[in-house]
Amino acid sequence: MSAEQRKPLRREESAGLMKYSAENLVPFGPIHPALKEPEYFKLVLEGERIVEVIPRIGYVHRGLEKAAESRPWVQNMYMFERTCGICSFVHSLTYGQAVEGLTIYEVPRRAKFIRTIIAELERIHSHLLWVGLMGHWAGFETLFMWVWRDREVVLDLVEAISGNRIHKSMNTFCGVRRDMPEGMEDRIVERMKFLVDRANYYKQIVDTEETMLERTEGLGKISPETAEKLCAVGPMARYVGLRRDIRLDDPYAAYDEVPFDIVTRKEGDVHALLKLRLDELIVSANMISYAVKHLPNGQIRIKIPPVIPAGEHSSHCEAPRGEIFYYVKSSGGRTPDRVKSRQPTMANLPTALEILKGATIADVPVVLTAIDPCFGCMDRTSFLDIETNREWTWSGEQLRQYGINYYFPERAKKR
Amino acid sequence: MSEILLQQIEKLAADVKTKSTQLRKGETIVEVDQIQLKKFIKRLVTETSARHLSTITGLDLGPNVGIIYHFWHERNTIHVKTFIPKTKSTALSIVDIVPGAILYEMEIHDMFGVTFTGNPWMDRKLLLPDTWPADLPPPLLKTSKPEEIRKRLGLEVEEK
Repeated sequence: MSAEQRKPLRREESAGLMKYSAENLVPFGPIHPALKEPEYFKLVLEGERIVEVIPRIGYVHRGLEKAAESRPWVQNMYMFERTCGICSFVHSLTYGQAVEGLTIYEVPRRAKFIRTIIAELERIHSHLLWVGLMGHWAGFETLFMWVWRDREVVLDLVEAISGNRIHKSMNTFCGVRRDMPEGMEDRIVERMKFLVDRANYYKQIVDTEETMLERTEGLGKISPETAEKLCAVGPMARYVGLRRDIRLDDPYAAYDEVPFDIVTRKEGDVHALLKLRLDELIVSANMISYAVKHLPNGQIRIKIPPVIPAGEHSSHCEAPRGEIFYYVKSSGGRTPDRVKSRQPTMANLPTALEILKGATIADVPVVLTAIDPCFGCMDRTSFLDIETNREWTWSGEQLRQYGINYYFPERAKKR
Repeated sequence: MSEILLQQIEKLAADVKTKSTQLRKGETIVEVDQIQLKKFIKRLVTETSARHLSTITGLDLGPNVGIIYHFWHERNTIHVKTFIPKTKSTALSIVDIVPGAILYEMEIHDMFGVTFTGNPWMDRKLLLPDTWPADLPPPLLKTSKPEEIRKRLGLEVEEK
Protein backbone atom coordinates (compact mmCIF):
# COMPACT_ATOMS: atom_id res chain seq x y z
CA MET A 1 0.00 0.00 0.00
CA SER A 2 1.51 3.30 -1.02
CA ALA A 3 1.69 6.44 1.05
CA GLU A 4 -0.88 8.23 -1.16
CA GLN A 5 -3.54 5.66 -0.46
CA ARG A 6 -3.02 6.16 3.25
CA LYS A 7 -3.94 9.83 3.19
CA PRO A 8 -6.56 10.70 5.82
CA LEU A 9 -10.10 11.11 4.59
CA ARG A 10 -11.42 14.62 4.39
CA ARG A 11 -14.41 15.03 6.59
CA GLU A 12 -16.42 17.72 8.29
CA GLU A 13 -14.63 18.43 11.54
CA SER A 14 -15.58 17.42 15.07
CA ALA A 15 -19.33 18.11 14.69
CA GLY A 16 -19.97 14.43 14.12
CA LEU A 17 -18.57 13.26 17.42
CA MET A 18 -21.63 13.81 19.55
CA LYS A 19 -23.77 12.05 16.99
CA TYR A 20 -21.88 8.77 17.23
CA SER A 21 -21.56 8.73 20.96
CA ALA A 22 -25.15 9.63 21.72
CA GLU A 23 -26.86 7.29 19.29
CA ASN A 24 -24.53 4.34 18.97
CA LEU A 25 -23.19 3.38 22.37
CA VAL A 26 -21.89 -0.13 21.92
CA PRO A 27 -22.81 -2.45 24.79
CA PHE A 28 -19.53 -3.80 25.91
CA GLY A 29 -18.73 -7.12 27.54
CA PRO A 30 -16.68 -7.76 30.65
CA ILE A 31 -13.09 -6.70 30.51
CA HIS A 32 -10.46 -9.33 31.06
CA PRO A 33 -7.62 -7.74 32.97
CA ALA A 34 -5.56 -10.91 33.02
CA LEU A 35 -1.95 -10.10 32.14
CA LYS A 36 -2.68 -7.29 29.74
CA GLU A 37 -4.09 -4.01 30.91
CA PRO A 38 -7.48 -3.16 29.46
CA GLU A 39 -8.23 0.06 27.71
CA TYR A 40 -11.08 0.48 25.32
CA PHE A 41 -11.32 2.37 22.07
CA LYS A 42 -14.49 2.69 20.09
CA LEU A 43 -13.57 3.10 16.45
CA VAL A 44 -16.03 4.75 14.12
CA LEU A 45 -15.46 3.54 10.58
CA GLU A 46 -16.24 4.58 7.06
CA GLY A 47 -15.55 1.40 5.17
CA GLU A 48 -11.93 0.55 5.98
CA ARG A 49 -11.02 4.00 7.29
CA ILE A 50 -11.28 5.24 10.82
CA VAL A 51 -13.04 8.57 11.14
CA GLU A 52 -13.31 8.89 14.89
CA VAL A 53 -11.83 7.25 17.95
CA ILE A 54 -13.49 7.44 21.34
CA PRO A 55 -11.38 6.31 24.29
CA ARG A 56 -12.59 4.83 27.54
CA ILE A 57 -9.94 4.13 30.13
CA GLY A 58 -9.97 3.51 33.84
CA TYR A 59 -10.63 -0.24 33.93
CA VAL A 60 -7.59 -0.72 36.12
CA HIS A 61 -7.88 2.54 38.04
CA ARG A 62 -6.85 1.59 41.53
CA GLY A 63 -7.39 4.86 43.34
CA LEU A 64 -3.72 5.33 44.25
CA GLU A 65 -4.12 9.08 44.72
CA LYS A 66 -6.86 8.55 47.28
CA ALA A 67 -4.94 5.74 48.97
CA ALA A 68 -1.86 7.98 49.25
CA GLU A 69 -3.75 10.41 51.46
CA SER A 70 -3.99 7.87 54.26
CA ARG A 71 -0.49 6.39 54.09
CA PRO A 72 2.85 7.64 55.47
CA TRP A 73 5.12 9.56 53.10
CA VAL A 74 7.70 6.79 52.70
CA GLN A 75 5.17 4.04 52.22
CA ASN A 76 3.65 5.98 49.33
CA MET A 77 6.96 5.87 47.50
CA TYR A 78 6.80 2.10 47.17
CA MET A 79 3.10 2.18 46.43
CA PHE A 80 3.60 4.59 43.52
CA GLU A 81 6.44 2.41 42.29
CA ARG A 82 3.78 -0.24 41.66
CA THR A 83 1.90 2.06 39.26
CA CYS A 84 3.70 0.48 36.33
CA GLY A 85 5.43 -2.82 35.80
CA ILE A 86 7.96 -1.46 33.32
CA CYS A 87 8.95 2.06 34.31
CA SER A 88 8.58 1.50 38.05
CA PHE A 89 11.76 3.25 39.20
CA VAL A 90 10.98 6.59 37.60
CA HIS A 91 7.67 6.80 39.48
CA SER A 92 9.37 6.55 42.84
CA LEU A 93 12.11 8.90 41.63
CA THR A 94 9.66 11.64 40.61
CA TYR A 95 7.55 11.28 43.73
CA GLY A 96 10.72 11.29 45.80
CA GLN A 97 12.02 14.43 44.13
CA ALA A 98 8.72 16.21 44.67
CA VAL A 99 8.82 15.40 48.39
CA GLU A 100 12.55 16.17 48.70
CA GLY A 101 11.74 19.63 47.32
CA LEU A 102 9.68 20.31 50.43
CA THR A 103 12.55 19.49 52.79
CA ILE A 104 15.87 21.22 53.35
CA TYR A 105 17.99 18.14 52.67
CA GLU A 106 20.18 17.54 49.62
CA VAL A 107 20.57 14.23 47.83
CA PRO A 108 24.20 12.94 48.04
CA ARG A 109 26.08 13.01 44.75
CA ARG A 110 26.73 9.28 44.67
CA ALA A 111 23.02 8.59 45.11
CA LYS A 112 22.26 10.90 42.20
CA PHE A 113 24.60 8.90 39.96
CA ILE A 114 23.12 5.58 41.05
CA ARG A 115 19.64 6.96 40.34
CA THR A 116 20.76 7.99 36.87
CA ILE A 117 22.23 4.56 36.14
CA ILE A 118 19.07 2.73 37.21
CA ALA A 119 16.80 5.16 35.34
CA GLU A 120 18.79 4.64 32.14
CA LEU A 121 18.85 0.85 32.55
CA GLU A 122 15.10 1.08 32.86
CA ARG A 123 14.88 3.13 29.68
CA ILE A 124 16.88 0.50 27.77
CA HIS A 125 14.63 -2.20 29.18
CA SER A 126 11.47 -0.34 28.19
CA HIS A 127 12.69 0.51 24.69
CA LEU A 128 13.80 -3.08 24.01
CA LEU A 129 10.45 -4.34 25.19
CA TRP A 130 8.73 -1.90 22.87
CA VAL A 131 10.82 -2.79 19.81
CA GLY A 132 9.99 -6.44 20.43
CA LEU A 133 6.28 -5.73 20.72
CA MET A 134 6.40 -3.68 17.57
CA GLY A 135 7.82 -6.71 15.78
CA HIS A 136 5.09 -8.87 17.27
CA TRP A 137 2.20 -6.62 16.21
CA ALA A 138 3.67 -6.01 12.76
CA GLY A 139 4.04 -9.74 12.15
CA PHE A 140 7.83 -10.05 12.46
CA GLU A 141 8.06 -12.60 15.24
CA THR A 142 11.80 -13.17 14.88
CA LEU A 143 12.56 -9.61 15.93
CA PHE A 144 10.41 -10.09 19.00
CA MET A 145 12.37 -13.20 20.03
CA TRP A 146 15.77 -11.58 19.48
CA VAL A 147 14.98 -8.35 21.24
CA TRP A 148 13.41 -9.99 24.25
CA ARG A 149 16.47 -12.19 24.61
CA ASP A 150 18.65 -9.08 24.75
CA ARG A 151 16.28 -7.55 27.27
CA GLU A 152 17.41 -10.24 29.70
CA VAL A 153 20.87 -8.63 29.68
CA VAL A 154 19.43 -5.47 31.20
CA LEU A 155 17.22 -7.33 33.65
CA ASP A 156 20.22 -9.33 34.88
CA LEU A 157 22.15 -6.13 35.52
CA VAL A 158 19.21 -4.55 37.34
CA GLU A 159 18.89 -7.69 39.43
CA ALA A 160 22.59 -7.66 40.27
CA ILE A 161 22.37 -4.03 41.45
CA SER A 162 19.01 -3.90 43.18
CA GLY A 163 18.12 -7.52 43.87
CA ASN A 164 14.92 -7.31 41.83
CA ARG A 165 14.14 -7.48 38.15
CA ILE A 166 11.17 -5.12 37.87
CA HIS A 167 10.23 -3.39 41.12
CA LYS A 168 13.64 -2.23 42.16
CA SER A 169 12.64 -0.41 45.36
CA MET A 170 15.98 1.38 45.17
CA ASN A 171 14.77 4.86 46.04
CA THR A 172 14.23 6.42 49.37
CA PHE A 173 13.95 10.06 50.38
CA CYS A 174 17.30 11.82 49.88
CA GLY A 175 19.17 8.81 48.58
CA VAL A 176 19.06 5.21 47.47
CA ARG A 177 18.72 2.13 49.63
CA ARG A 178 21.41 -0.07 48.11
CA ASP A 179 24.92 0.81 47.06
CA MET A 180 26.43 -0.28 43.77
CA PRO A 181 27.99 -3.76 44.29
CA GLU A 182 31.80 -3.99 44.15
CA GLY A 183 33.40 -4.84 40.81
CA MET A 184 30.30 -4.20 38.70
CA GLU A 185 31.98 -1.56 36.57
CA ASP A 186 33.66 -3.80 34.01
CA ARG A 187 30.66 -6.05 33.69
CA ILE A 188 28.29 -3.14 33.05
CA VAL A 189 30.60 -1.50 30.49
CA GLU A 190 31.04 -4.79 28.63
CA ARG A 191 27.30 -5.51 28.60
CA MET A 192 26.56 -1.99 27.38
CA LYS A 193 28.97 -2.51 24.48
CA PHE A 194 27.04 -5.66 23.59
CA LEU A 195 23.73 -3.79 23.67
CA VAL A 196 25.07 -0.98 21.45
CA ASP A 197 26.15 -3.60 18.90
CA ARG A 198 22.76 -5.22 18.99
CA ALA A 199 20.95 -1.88 18.66
CA ASN A 200 23.03 -1.03 15.60
CA TYR A 201 22.15 -4.41 14.11
CA TYR A 202 18.42 -3.90 14.77
CA LYS A 203 18.63 -0.49 13.14
CA GLN A 204 19.95 -2.21 10.03
CA ILE A 205 17.13 -4.76 10.19
CA VAL A 206 14.28 -2.28 10.50
CA ASP A 207 15.74 -0.36 7.57
CA THR A 208 16.00 -3.37 5.25
CA GLU A 209 13.44 -5.93 6.39
CA GLU A 210 10.36 -5.72 4.18
CA THR A 211 7.84 -6.62 6.87
CA MET A 212 8.83 -3.70 9.04
CA LEU A 213 9.10 -1.23 6.17
CA GLU A 214 5.71 -2.18 4.79
CA ARG A 215 3.94 -1.88 8.11
CA THR A 216 5.58 1.22 9.51
CA GLU A 217 6.74 3.58 6.77
CA GLY A 218 4.51 6.61 6.20
CA LEU A 219 2.18 5.54 8.97
CA GLY A 220 1.27 7.71 11.93
CA LYS A 221 2.01 11.07 10.39
CA ILE A 222 1.33 14.16 12.43
CA SER A 223 2.59 17.72 12.15
CA PRO A 224 4.87 19.14 14.86
CA GLU A 225 2.37 21.94 15.51
CA THR A 226 -0.46 19.49 16.18
CA ALA A 227 1.75 17.35 18.39
CA GLU A 228 2.72 20.40 20.41
CA LYS A 229 -0.88 21.53 20.78
CA LEU A 230 -1.92 18.07 21.91
CA CYS A 231 0.86 18.22 24.53
CA ALA A 232 2.69 15.13 23.27
CA VAL A 233 5.59 14.02 25.45
CA GLY A 234 8.74 11.94 25.14
CA PRO A 235 9.45 10.01 21.94
CA MET A 236 6.05 11.02 20.57
CA ALA A 237 7.20 14.65 20.58
CA ARG A 238 10.75 13.94 19.41
CA TYR A 239 9.78 11.83 16.38
CA VAL A 240 8.21 14.85 14.70
CA GLY A 241 11.20 17.05 15.47
CA LEU A 242 10.18 18.77 18.71
CA ARG A 243 13.33 19.06 20.80
CA ARG A 244 11.81 18.29 24.14
CA ASP A 245 13.48 16.14 26.75
CA ILE A 246 13.37 16.88 30.47
CA ARG A 247 16.77 15.27 31.02
CA LEU A 248 18.25 18.12 28.99
CA ASP A 249 15.72 20.92 29.55
CA ASP A 250 15.36 20.61 33.29
CA PRO A 251 18.08 18.24 34.53
CA TYR A 252 17.43 16.14 37.61
CA ALA A 253 19.50 13.41 39.35
CA ALA A 254 22.98 13.51 37.73
CA TYR A 255 21.90 14.38 34.18
CA ASP A 256 23.70 17.71 34.32
CA GLU A 257 27.00 15.89 34.95
CA VAL A 258 26.71 13.12 32.38
CA PRO A 259 27.35 14.27 28.80
CA PHE A 260 24.70 13.23 26.29
CA ASP A 261 22.59 14.55 23.47
CA ILE A 262 18.98 13.80 22.75
CA VAL A 263 17.78 12.23 19.52
CA THR A 264 15.12 13.79 17.34
CA ARG A 265 13.86 12.81 13.91
CA LYS A 266 12.10 14.71 11.17
CA GLU A 267 10.14 12.05 9.27
CA GLY A 268 7.40 11.69 11.83
CA ASP A 269 6.20 8.17 11.07
CA VAL A 270 6.21 4.93 13.01
CA HIS A 271 9.38 3.84 11.24
CA ALA A 272 11.10 6.97 12.56
CA LEU A 273 9.89 6.07 16.05
CA LEU A 274 11.53 2.65 15.74
CA LYS A 275 14.87 4.18 14.82
CA LEU A 276 14.49 6.94 17.38
CA ARG A 277 13.99 4.50 20.22
CA LEU A 278 16.94 2.39 19.06
CA ASP A 279 19.11 5.52 18.88
CA GLU A 280 17.99 6.55 22.35
CA LEU A 281 18.95 3.12 23.54
CA ILE A 282 22.50 3.66 22.29
CA VAL A 283 22.65 7.08 23.97
CA SER A 284 21.46 5.55 27.24
CA ALA A 285 24.01 2.74 27.04
CA ASN A 286 26.81 5.28 26.59
CA MET A 287 25.49 7.34 29.50
CA ILE A 288 25.51 4.30 31.77
CA SER A 289 29.08 3.44 30.81
CA TYR A 290 30.15 7.03 31.56
CA ALA A 291 28.26 7.21 34.85
CA VAL A 292 29.68 3.90 36.07
CA LYS A 293 33.24 4.99 35.28
CA HIS A 294 32.77 8.37 37.00
CA LEU A 295 30.78 7.17 39.99
CA PRO A 296 31.78 9.49 42.89
CA ASN A 297 32.53 8.22 46.37
CA GLY A 298 30.57 9.13 49.45
CA GLN A 299 27.41 8.27 51.28
CA ILE A 300 24.31 7.06 49.47
CA ARG A 301 21.55 8.47 51.67
CA ILE A 302 20.59 10.94 54.37
CA LYS A 303 17.99 9.99 56.93
CA ILE A 304 15.19 12.49 57.10
CA PRO A 305 12.39 12.82 59.69
CA PRO A 306 9.02 11.24 58.84
CA VAL A 307 7.19 14.56 59.05
CA ILE A 308 7.42 16.63 55.88
CA PRO A 309 7.09 20.44 56.23
CA ALA A 310 3.95 22.10 54.89
CA GLY A 311 4.02 23.34 51.32
CA GLU A 312 3.48 22.25 47.76
CA HIS A 313 5.90 21.07 45.15
CA SER A 314 5.91 19.43 41.77
CA SER A 315 8.49 17.38 39.94
CA HIS A 316 8.75 15.90 36.48
CA CYS A 317 11.11 13.34 34.96
CA GLU A 318 11.70 11.87 31.54
CA ALA A 319 10.34 8.33 31.81
CA PRO A 320 11.02 5.96 28.88
CA ARG A 321 7.60 6.88 27.46
CA GLY A 322 7.79 10.59 28.12
CA GLU A 323 7.19 13.12 30.82
CA ILE A 324 6.00 11.82 34.15
CA PHE A 325 4.59 14.36 36.56
CA TYR A 326 3.97 14.42 40.31
CA TYR A 327 2.50 17.15 42.44
CA VAL A 328 2.49 16.87 46.24
CA LYS A 329 0.87 19.06 48.87
CA SER A 330 1.72 18.73 52.51
CA SER A 331 0.00 20.23 55.51
CA GLY A 332 2.94 19.36 57.75
CA GLY A 333 1.78 15.94 58.84
CA ARG A 334 2.87 12.34 58.52
CA THR A 335 0.66 11.76 55.48
CA PRO A 336 0.33 13.85 52.33
CA ASP A 337 -2.59 16.17 51.83
CA ARG A 338 -2.75 15.45 48.12
CA VAL A 339 -0.62 13.60 45.60
CA LYS A 340 -1.26 13.93 41.89
CA SER A 341 0.44 11.61 39.45
CA ARG A 342 0.24 11.84 35.68
CA GLN A 343 1.67 9.12 33.46
CA PRO A 344 2.99 9.61 29.92
CA THR A 345 0.41 7.35 28.27
CA MET A 346 -2.32 9.71 29.45
CA ALA A 347 -0.48 12.64 27.87
CA ASN A 348 0.10 10.82 24.58
CA LEU A 349 -3.41 9.47 24.21
CA PRO A 350 -4.83 12.59 22.44
CA THR A 351 -1.96 12.36 19.93
CA ALA A 352 -2.64 8.68 19.29
CA LEU A 353 -6.33 9.39 18.74
CA GLU A 354 -5.41 12.07 16.21
CA ILE A 355 -2.99 9.76 14.38
CA LEU A 356 -5.58 6.98 14.19
CA LYS A 357 -8.01 9.15 12.25
CA GLY A 358 -7.58 8.25 8.60
CA ALA A 359 -5.68 5.03 9.24
CA THR A 360 -7.15 1.65 8.31
CA ILE A 361 -8.25 -1.06 10.74
CA ALA A 362 -5.18 -3.05 9.79
CA ASP A 363 -2.96 -0.23 11.06
CA VAL A 364 -4.61 0.05 14.47
CA PRO A 365 -2.36 -2.39 16.36
CA VAL A 366 0.80 -0.80 14.99
CA VAL A 367 -0.31 2.79 15.60
CA LEU A 368 -1.53 2.10 19.11
CA THR A 369 1.65 0.24 19.97
CA ALA A 370 3.62 3.17 18.58
CA ILE A 371 2.79 5.41 21.53
CA ASP A 372 4.06 2.61 23.79
CA PRO A 373 0.92 2.35 25.85
CA CYS A 374 0.21 -0.35 28.32
CA PHE A 375 -0.23 -2.67 25.42
CA GLY A 376 -3.38 -4.49 26.33
CA CYS A 377 -5.27 -1.59 24.84
CA MET A 378 -6.27 -3.57 21.83
CA ASP A 379 -7.43 -6.55 23.83
CA ARG A 380 -11.02 -5.76 23.03
CA THR A 381 -11.90 -3.27 20.38
CA SER A 382 -15.35 -2.68 19.01
CA PHE A 383 -15.99 -1.44 15.52
CA LEU A 384 -18.86 0.53 14.15
CA ASP A 385 -19.26 0.91 10.39
CA ILE A 386 -21.25 4.06 9.74
CA GLU A 387 -22.12 3.03 6.19
CA THR A 388 -23.71 -0.29 7.00
CA ASN A 389 -24.30 0.37 10.69
CA ARG A 390 -22.77 -3.01 11.49
CA GLU A 391 -21.10 -3.44 14.88
CA TRP A 392 -18.66 -6.10 15.91
CA THR A 393 -15.98 -6.79 18.47
CA TRP A 394 -12.56 -8.32 18.01
CA SER A 395 -10.02 -9.53 20.48
CA GLY A 396 -6.45 -8.23 20.28
CA GLU A 397 -5.22 -11.42 18.62
CA GLN A 398 -7.92 -11.31 15.93
CA LEU A 399 -7.02 -7.71 15.23
CA ARG A 400 -3.33 -8.61 14.93
CA GLN A 401 -4.07 -11.43 12.50
CA TYR A 402 -6.30 -9.15 10.45
CA GLY A 403 -3.51 -6.61 10.15
CA ILE A 404 -0.96 -9.21 9.07
CA ASN A 405 -3.30 -10.81 6.54
CA TYR A 406 -4.22 -7.40 5.15
CA TYR A 407 -0.62 -6.54 4.37
CA PHE A 408 0.73 -10.00 3.57
CA PRO A 409 -2.13 -12.03 2.03
CA GLU A 410 0.31 -14.64 0.72
CA ARG A 411 1.10 -15.66 4.31
CA ALA A 412 -2.57 -16.20 5.10
CA LYS A 413 -2.86 -18.55 2.11
CA LYS A 414 0.07 -20.64 3.33
CA ARG A 415 -1.68 -21.28 6.62
CA MET B 1 16.63 32.75 29.65
CA SER B 2 14.77 31.67 32.69
CA GLU B 3 14.39 35.19 34.08
CA ILE B 4 13.02 36.53 30.80
CA LEU B 5 10.16 34.06 30.71
CA LEU B 6 9.22 34.70 34.33
CA GLN B 7 9.28 38.46 33.70
CA GLN B 8 7.04 38.00 30.69
CA ILE B 9 4.61 36.02 32.78
CA GLU B 10 4.67 38.60 35.57
CA LYS B 11 3.79 41.22 32.99
CA LEU B 12 0.98 39.11 31.53
CA ALA B 13 -0.38 38.38 34.95
CA ALA B 14 -0.21 41.97 36.15
CA ASP B 15 -3.79 42.85 35.30
CA VAL B 16 -5.47 39.48 35.87
CA LYS B 17 -3.79 37.89 38.87
CA THR B 18 -5.02 38.02 42.39
CA LYS B 19 -1.76 36.79 43.86
CA SER B 20 1.53 35.37 42.66
CA THR B 21 4.13 33.52 44.70
CA GLN B 22 7.63 32.51 43.74
CA LEU B 23 7.91 28.98 45.13
CA ARG B 24 11.58 28.56 44.35
CA LYS B 25 13.94 29.43 41.54
CA GLY B 26 12.16 28.97 38.24
CA GLU B 27 8.90 27.85 39.78
CA THR B 28 6.02 30.23 40.28
CA ILE B 29 2.36 30.05 41.23
CA VAL B 30 -0.01 32.54 39.65
CA GLU B 31 -3.45 32.70 41.21
CA VAL B 32 -6.04 33.88 38.74
CA ASP B 33 -9.73 34.53 39.14
CA GLN B 34 -11.92 32.00 37.35
CA ILE B 35 -13.41 34.64 35.02
CA GLN B 36 -9.99 35.86 33.88
CA LEU B 37 -8.42 32.40 33.64
CA LYS B 38 -9.17 31.62 30.03
CA LYS B 39 -7.90 35.00 28.87
CA PHE B 40 -4.69 34.55 30.83
CA ILE B 41 -4.01 31.02 29.55
CA LYS B 42 -4.66 32.15 25.99
CA ARG B 43 -2.06 34.90 26.33
CA LEU B 44 0.31 32.52 28.09
CA VAL B 45 0.33 29.95 25.29
CA THR B 46 0.33 32.43 22.42
CA GLU B 47 2.74 35.07 23.70
CA THR B 48 5.27 33.07 25.71
CA SER B 49 7.13 29.82 25.16
CA ALA B 50 5.35 28.07 28.06
CA ARG B 51 3.02 26.16 25.76
CA HIS B 52 3.27 22.67 27.18
CA LEU B 53 0.56 21.74 29.65
CA SER B 54 1.79 18.94 31.90
CA THR B 55 -1.49 18.23 33.55
CA ILE B 56 -4.34 19.72 35.54
CA THR B 57 -4.52 19.00 39.26
CA GLY B 58 -7.60 19.22 41.41
CA LEU B 59 -7.45 20.05 45.11
CA ASP B 60 -10.06 19.83 47.82
CA LEU B 61 -9.73 23.06 49.81
CA GLY B 62 -12.77 22.90 52.05
CA PRO B 63 -15.44 25.20 50.60
CA ASN B 64 -13.58 25.48 47.28
CA VAL B 65 -12.11 23.16 44.70
CA GLY B 66 -8.69 24.34 43.60
CA ILE B 67 -7.63 23.70 40.02
CA ILE B 68 -3.98 24.01 39.03
CA TYR B 69 -2.80 24.10 35.42
CA HIS B 70 0.86 23.09 35.27
CA PHE B 71 2.79 24.59 32.36
CA TRP B 72 6.52 24.32 31.83
CA HIS B 73 9.22 25.41 29.50
CA GLU B 74 12.86 24.44 30.00
CA ARG B 75 13.71 25.22 33.62
CA ASN B 76 10.54 27.12 34.42
CA THR B 77 7.35 25.72 35.81
CA ILE B 78 4.26 27.90 35.98
CA HIS B 79 1.33 26.77 38.09
CA VAL B 80 -1.83 28.65 37.22
CA LYS B 81 -4.19 28.27 40.12
CA THR B 82 -7.88 29.03 40.31
CA PHE B 83 -10.68 28.36 42.78
CA ILE B 84 -14.22 27.18 42.18
CA PRO B 85 -16.87 27.09 44.93
CA LYS B 86 -18.24 23.60 45.58
CA THR B 87 -21.77 24.96 45.52
CA LYS B 88 -21.45 25.94 41.87
CA SER B 89 -18.76 23.74 40.42
CA THR B 90 -18.58 24.74 36.79
CA ALA B 91 -15.51 26.08 35.05
CA LEU B 92 -14.67 27.18 31.53
CA SER B 93 -12.91 24.57 29.43
CA ILE B 94 -9.57 25.45 27.82
CA VAL B 95 -9.81 22.70 25.20
CA ASP B 96 -10.16 25.25 22.39
CA ILE B 97 -6.85 26.85 23.41
CA VAL B 98 -4.93 23.75 24.55
CA PRO B 99 -6.51 20.69 22.85
CA GLY B 100 -4.31 18.37 24.91
CA ALA B 101 -6.26 19.33 28.04
CA ILE B 102 -9.31 17.31 27.06
CA LEU B 103 -8.54 14.16 29.06
CA TYR B 104 -7.24 16.06 32.08
CA GLU B 105 -10.50 18.00 32.30
CA MET B 106 -12.45 14.76 32.07
CA GLU B 107 -10.35 13.40 34.94
CA ILE B 108 -11.14 16.42 37.15
CA HIS B 109 -14.79 16.05 36.18
CA ASP B 110 -14.75 12.43 37.34
CA MET B 111 -12.73 12.92 40.49
CA PHE B 112 -13.93 16.33 41.77
CA GLY B 113 -17.27 16.80 40.06
CA VAL B 114 -16.29 20.01 38.30
CA THR B 115 -18.08 20.49 34.98
CA PHE B 116 -16.07 22.20 32.25
CA THR B 117 -18.33 24.06 29.86
CA GLY B 118 -17.00 23.80 26.32
CA ASN B 119 -15.41 20.37 26.68
CA PRO B 120 -17.11 18.12 24.08
CA TRP B 121 -16.63 14.96 26.14
CA MET B 122 -18.17 16.14 29.40
CA ASP B 123 -21.12 13.80 28.94
CA ARG B 124 -19.12 10.64 29.52
CA LYS B 125 -16.85 9.15 32.12
CA LEU B 126 -13.14 8.55 31.66
CA LEU B 127 -11.90 6.84 34.81
CA LEU B 128 -14.91 6.09 37.00
CA PRO B 129 -17.05 3.00 36.37
CA ASP B 130 -20.28 3.49 34.45
CA THR B 131 -22.14 2.15 37.47
CA TRP B 132 -20.93 4.98 39.70
CA PRO B 133 -24.00 6.14 41.72
CA ALA B 134 -24.97 9.70 40.89
CA ASP B 135 -25.61 10.66 44.50
CA LEU B 136 -22.18 9.53 45.74
CA PRO B 137 -19.71 12.42 46.20
CA PRO B 138 -16.82 12.46 43.69
CA PRO B 139 -14.09 10.15 45.04
CA LEU B 140 -11.20 12.55 45.58
CA LEU B 141 -13.16 14.99 47.73
CA LYS B 142 -12.19 14.68 51.38
CA THR B 143 -15.82 13.99 52.31
CA SER B 144 -15.76 10.81 50.24
CA LYS B 145 -14.73 7.78 52.29
CA PRO B 146 -13.26 4.64 50.69
CA GLU B 147 -15.46 2.33 52.84
CA GLU B 148 -18.57 4.12 51.67
CA ILE B 149 -17.52 3.79 48.03
CA ARG B 150 -16.83 0.09 48.39
CA LYS B 151 -20.18 -0.45 50.06
CA ARG B 152 -22.16 1.47 47.46
CA LEU B 153 -20.40 -0.16 44.53
CA GLY B 154 -21.18 -3.57 45.97
CA LEU B 155 -17.55 -4.40 46.68
CA GLU B 156 -16.68 -6.42 49.70
CA VAL B 157 -15.90 -4.37 52.80
CA GLU B 158 -12.80 -5.62 54.58
CA GLU B 159 -13.43 -7.05 58.03
CA LYS B 160 -11.49 -5.33 60.75
